[in-house]
Amino acid sequence: MELNDGNLQTLTEFLRKTLDPDPAVRRPAEKFLESVEGNQNYPLLLLTLLEKSQDQVIRVCAAVTFKNYIKRNWRIVEDEPNKVSDPDRTAIKANIVNLMLSSPEQIQKQLSDAISIIGREDFPQKWPDLLTEMVTRFRSGDFHIINGVLRTAHSLFKRYRHEFKSNELWSEIKLVLDTFALPLTELFKATIELCQTHATDVNALKVLFSSLTLISKLFYSLNFQDLPEFFEDNMETWMTNFHGLLTLDNKLLQTDDEEEAGLLELLKSQICDNAALYAQKYDEEFQPYLPRFVTAIWNLLVSTGQEVKYDLLVSNAIQFLASVCERPHYKHLFEDQNTLTSICEKVIVPNMEFRSADEEAFEDNSEEYIRRDLEGSDIDTRRRAACDLVRGLCKFFEAPVTAIFSGYVNSMLSEYAKNPGGNWKHKDAAIYLVTSLASKAQTQKHGITQANELVNLNEFFVNHILSDLKSPNVNEFPVLKADAIKYVMIFRSQLPKEQLLQAVPLLISHLQAESTVEHTYAAHALERLFTMRGPNNSTLITAAEMAPFTEQLLNNLFKALALPGSAENEYIMKAIMRSFSLLQEAIVPYIPTLIGQLTHKLLLVSKNPSKPHFNHYLFESLCLSVRITCKANSATVSSFEEALFPVFTEILQNDVQEFLPYVFQVMSLLLEIHANSIPSSYMALFPHLLQPALWERTGNIPPLVRLLQAYLEKGSATIAGSAADKIPGLLGVFQKLIASKANDHQGFYLLNSIIEHMPPESIIQYRKQIFILLFQRLQSSKTTKFIKSFLVFVNLYCVKYGAIALQEIFDSIQPKTPLLQALIGLFELPEDDSIPDDEHFIDIEDTPGYQTAFSQLAFAGKKEHDPIGDAVGNPKILLAQSLHKLSTACPGRVPSMLSTSLNAEALQYLQGYLQAATVQLV
Amino acid sequence: MPTKNVVDERISKFKNKGKDPVKLREKRITECVELRKASKNENFMKRRNITLSSLPDEDALSPDSNDTVTPLSIEDIIKDVNSDSKESQTRGCQAARKLLSQERNPPLKEIVDAGLLSRFVSFLCMDDEPTLQFEAAWALTNIASGTSWHTQQVVEHGAVPAFISLLASPMLHISEQAVWALGNIAGDGPAYRDVLIECNVIPALLARICPDTPVGYLRNLTWTLSNLCRNKNPCPPLSAVLQVLPSLIQLLHLGDKDILSDACWAISYLSDGDNDRIDVVVKTGIVPRLVELMSHKELSVMTPALRSIGNIVSGSDLQTQAAVDAGVLNVLPQLMRHSKPSVQKEAAWALSNIAAGPCKQIQQLITCGLLPPLVEQLRNGDFKTQREAVWAVTNFTSGGTVEQVVTLVQSGALEAIINLLQVKDAKVILVILDAINNIFMAAEKLGETEKLSLLVEELGGLDRIEMLQNHDNDMVYQAAHSLIEKYFGDGEIEGIKVDTTEDAFLFKSPDVQRTFEF
Repeated sequence: MELNDGNLQTLTEFLRKTLDPDPAVRRPAEKFLESVEGNQNYPLLLLTLLEKSQDQVIRVCAAVTFKNYIKRNWRIVEDEPNKVSDPDRTAIKANIVNLMLSSPEQIQKQLSDAISIIGREDFPQKWPDLLTEMVTRFRSGDFHIINGVLRTAHSLFKRYRHEFKSNELWSEIKLVLDTFALPLTELFKATIELCQTHATDVNALKVLFSSLTLISKLFYSLNFQDLPEFFEDNMETWMTNFHGLLTLDNKLLQTDDEEEAGLLELLKSQICDNAALYAQKYDEEFQPYLPRFVTAIWNLLVSTGQEVKYDLLVSNAIQFLASVCERPHYKHLFEDQNTLTSICEKVIVPNMEFRSADEEAFEDNSEEYIRRDLEGSDIDTRRRAACDLVRGLCKFFEAPVTAIFSGYVNSMLSEYAKNPGGNWKHKDAAIYLVTSLASKAQTQKHGITQANELVNLNEFFVNHILSDLKSPNVNEFPVLKADAIKYVMIFRSQLPKEQLLQAVPLLISHLQAESTVEHTYAAHALERLFTMRGPNNSTLITAAEMAPFTEQLLNNLFKALALPGSAENEYIMKAIMRSFSLLQEAIVPYIPTLIGQLTHKLLLVSKNPSKPHFNHYLFESLCLSVRITCKANSATVSSFEEALFPVFTEILQNDVQEFLPYVFQVMSLLLEIHANSIPSSYMALFPHLLQPALWERTGNIPPLVRLLQAYLEKGSATIAGSAADKIPGLLGVFQKLIASKANDHQGFYLLNSIIEHMPPESIIQYRKQIFILLFQRLQSSKTTKFIKSFLVFVNLYCVKYGAIALQEIFDSIQPKTPLLQALIGLFELPEDDSIPDDEHFIDIEDTPGYQTAFSQLAFAGKKEHDPIGDAVGNPKILLAQSLHKLSTACPGRVPSMLSTSLNAEALQYLQGYLQAATVQLV
Repeated sequence: MPTKNVVDERISKFKNKGKDPVKLREKRITECVELRKASKNENFMKRRNITLSSLPDEDALSPDSNDTVTPLSIEDIIKDVNSDSKESQTRGCQAARKLLSQERNPPLKEIVDAGLLSRFVSFLCMDDEPTLQFEAAWALTNIASGTSWHTQQVVEHGAVPAFISLLASPMLHISEQAVWALGNIAGDGPAYRDVLIECNVIPALLARICPDTPVGYLRNLTWTLSNLCRNKNPCPPLSAVLQVLPSLIQLLHLGDKDILSDACWAISYLSDGDNDRIDVVVKTGIVPRLVELMSHKELSVMTPALRSIGNIVSGSDLQTQAAVDAGVLNVLPQLMRHSKPSVQKEAAWALSNIAAGPCKQIQQLITCGLLPPLVEQLRNGDFKTQREAVWAVTNFTSGGTVEQVVTLVQSGALEAIINLLQVKDAKVILVILDAINNIFMAAEKLGETEKLSLLVEELGGLDRIEMLQNHDNDMVYQAAHSLIEKYFGDGEIEGIKVDTTEDAFLFKSPDVQRTFEF
């Protein structure tokens, strides 16, 4: 491909076609370009076009195409051909910097990207001139060019922020420092001077401040790995200027935009990052400068407005202070009473104020508001940063900080009292301040677990919170109502029970509030109160204590689901679940009505499941309805089947994947309630449950296994009779499951149910194959879990079919196994008896089997089943007796086998078992 | 792109951890390339304008005397030094020495370029002109204290044998001047150090150590000896080390802090090598004294003593045990809590190496109460200390027993390292992820993986690890991802494949009869 006009013309045509909206035109053009890109001079043709084409569109298109070409082809991969010819490489490197710097911004950006891709491969060894070429431009005085260089340098150096220390990397950094650090410093100083001379020229300032921001970013990259000697020696220059910039304000650079951060904010944010880097990593060297930065940053905070555009800067700045004030050797910077007072007054209090943006979110974007306020996804918010600062300060100055804030809280509350309608935000800030001051440790499970003893939470509740809760108009001052509800919720472990009991009916009435945040908080607070533990591991609030409110509670909860915006409100659904669980038989009279509402809801959400938590609690509530009602009268199970099966059928037919695991669990629950028979409606479904497609989804496995177990328990005779042809498929499921480390125990559950329930003659033909598969897995991938499950199975088999049958199977596969030793090992393992008996308290995230793929329903749980049960009183004695039986069947063989294959410890245990069983081996 | 695991690389540098007994660990993690200023704690390699201890009282030769006399110009000096008159030579030498003793910009190069060095060297041999001899020695010493190029000029003019001869001078201040000059030459680097050793400088120096040698003289001598022990690539010849060691041991039992400091530095250089070199030091029986000096009230003594012990515990288990037996674990807690970050860091480094040892030593570390200061450093320490402390945790968790790991977690280390996951250093993050993985492996043995998953989640660890899946560093991303996969997800093993039809799985065991062993 020659560099001539003809080729330039052709290339132009094809580039133009790649922009065509019609794929029939565009695709072939793209194909063509790809087919010729291997030719020498192709990249140079592109460079020529992007520089000289008369058509602006073609210039940009050539630049983008060039960048993508570099991205695909520049790297030389071992054992693969070099895709860019050496003369082209040399020519590109010789021209690209110039070209980039003289191009308009759109093209400059593409070329700058290309340079950093090339730089990543070639810099510094194969591109030794790059740095000096760039540094020379610093002296050009043209800030369009200088910013181009700085941007390119930034893309070359930013990897120093995340790569590991290595000699190779550090040699490169050293080289960069040697060439770049001094000119960068000079440029930094010169740019700052220019800012002063051009202090009134807004356009010049804009360019200069972008340079300063880029320079500050480069500073961050170059200082990231370690503190370079150059920057240590020049710390005075850099830090003095950074400090100056932090304190600088220029009206001309202030933007009108309330949302988007302006140049000043971006620069100051980066300087905060730089200071934070030094404070974290180079504390020893930075110590002399730190106090100045602390002062500058808090002055910055004092003078920065409430607009959203400052949020990142403010939260960065506060976080910097928070991290510094926790360090013992900087304690002295904060301990002066005036300092503390001014931080509290001017930094913390203003950033805790309820802003108009918060108000908008409260009204129009309640989900986002709740996520931030309740679930802690407020990492970047001002309030969170201010809270962190309070906590940091309390580490050393709890008493003075508490005293200062008490004064503020009182004055804000009295402001509110003067004019509640106009000053309600003052009360909001007061409550927030008390909350952040009082809470020292918090978990989702228990709310505040550790509180500041200097704050009287109960008194505040009685004097300032209760009044809002009692206010007859639930729709007045919704923010304060939400604050009050939240207060009860998070301090529930600190407040006395009588206060909580007093709050319960008030919370129930707030379920009717129009504000989404408010009724959501009410539901959430009730749900949390109902999970609190009282004495004897029972709930703190009992069903008896709730009796007067039961009807209103259930009514209001279901009515709240009908409020606008709360049709799939997970907090309300969770509160319904928790109320059912707490109230137990007290709900039975209401179930006939409520089950209709629940199934109706299920039908609606199954069209488009979008709120996983809501759906989960909906199924939990269904399970509770079934369990509680059928416990009182098991005959009602058929009415539940009548209500639920139509919806279930639709879910199964439409293959609503999210819901299948739930449906299988509810079906298991229903089937398990039946006496020992299986309705034909279930048998019709049996073949479908064995379909491989269902088992490919990991979330289906546990509930399907459980459902099959229920089938085996209730319908083994039916299966052996009318569905005997499905037995291989059933065993196929077992085989599939034991092939997985994650699911092998599920395979054993299934196998054990087969052994326990199926008539022996129906499976006799498969027994040997079952053992071979188990041995094979034991050999290829032995895990503790597998061995344990295996031993349990062997034990069960032994009980069901006898030791001799087991021995025969072993002998038919392979005589002499170390099985016995392993079996004894199992008996002597420490027992794990931690079976949860407090399922009422279980949270979705707490369930041991909880994975994103499978959501186990806590309230669909089945009773632990011991297949051996009464048949075996003491397994150790059974083992001794079985061995005894075995030894009398083939005298002389067993003792010698034992003595050669068991270790001393195991033998000793075994002797103990034999004595206890009063048998002797022969 | 190189994809070798950087953590593995460093782990293989810790003793025992590379599972390659031959390739134990690199002693001090010295990267050849440094970005930082050379450490301020390090001893000076070359010294200028130290005060000689043995100047005769009546001699008015100190650099500050005769200030009233206007200094000679370089031209006058050249004329004087090159003259034949002893008196002028002496005057010229003295003037040159004074110029060279200037605090700011001494004209080292001018004097060299003036061709005066060969004259100075020739004056060194004039035993009958002690003043001239001394002034020449002093001038040369000052030149040798300059850059490598300056030192090279001095050596190439044949000063080495002349100075070694001067060591034996009956005039103590002349001998001391020679000690100082030789120290500067030795401090230049391994090449000149070995030139001096070849010229038998060591016996000549050691001969000056006797009960009545003045303390000041001994200080300079110890410093020169330390420079003869200094530098790697290559290390000083073993024979020289064996020659010096007995005297160093002797010096280490004196009470003078400067002597102790330089003697300790010497030991720290000698122990900064492979295990054979450490062995030579340990066999002298000096370890208990070094451990004792780790509690010395002078930072200048404590620092090199700590570094020496740090080097020794980076050696074999047996060498480490010698330090443990000498009580190093009783001293480390207070050093971990020392007010100077550099001391904390060195102490944490030593601790990280002891934690890389067998579980018996880990147990001793627990018993001696090292976990509380370790956790304190993880929480509040200087970053350099935190980094070493993180390594200590990772080493501990990879070599400790399950019970020991549980103790570590209970002491608050897990919480502390989880907090450090937000640190601005990719390697430290990776090392922490490695520690968390090790702790999970211990939990697996206890069957408490799920409990640990919950704990990590409660401590905010899961959020942070999930966030690290967005880290720009690929290995950090991988490590975070695999932790999530392993302990917060599930997996399937290959081996037993199942055929399927449309409706069901095919149940079928393999046809081939085989022998099972498990």
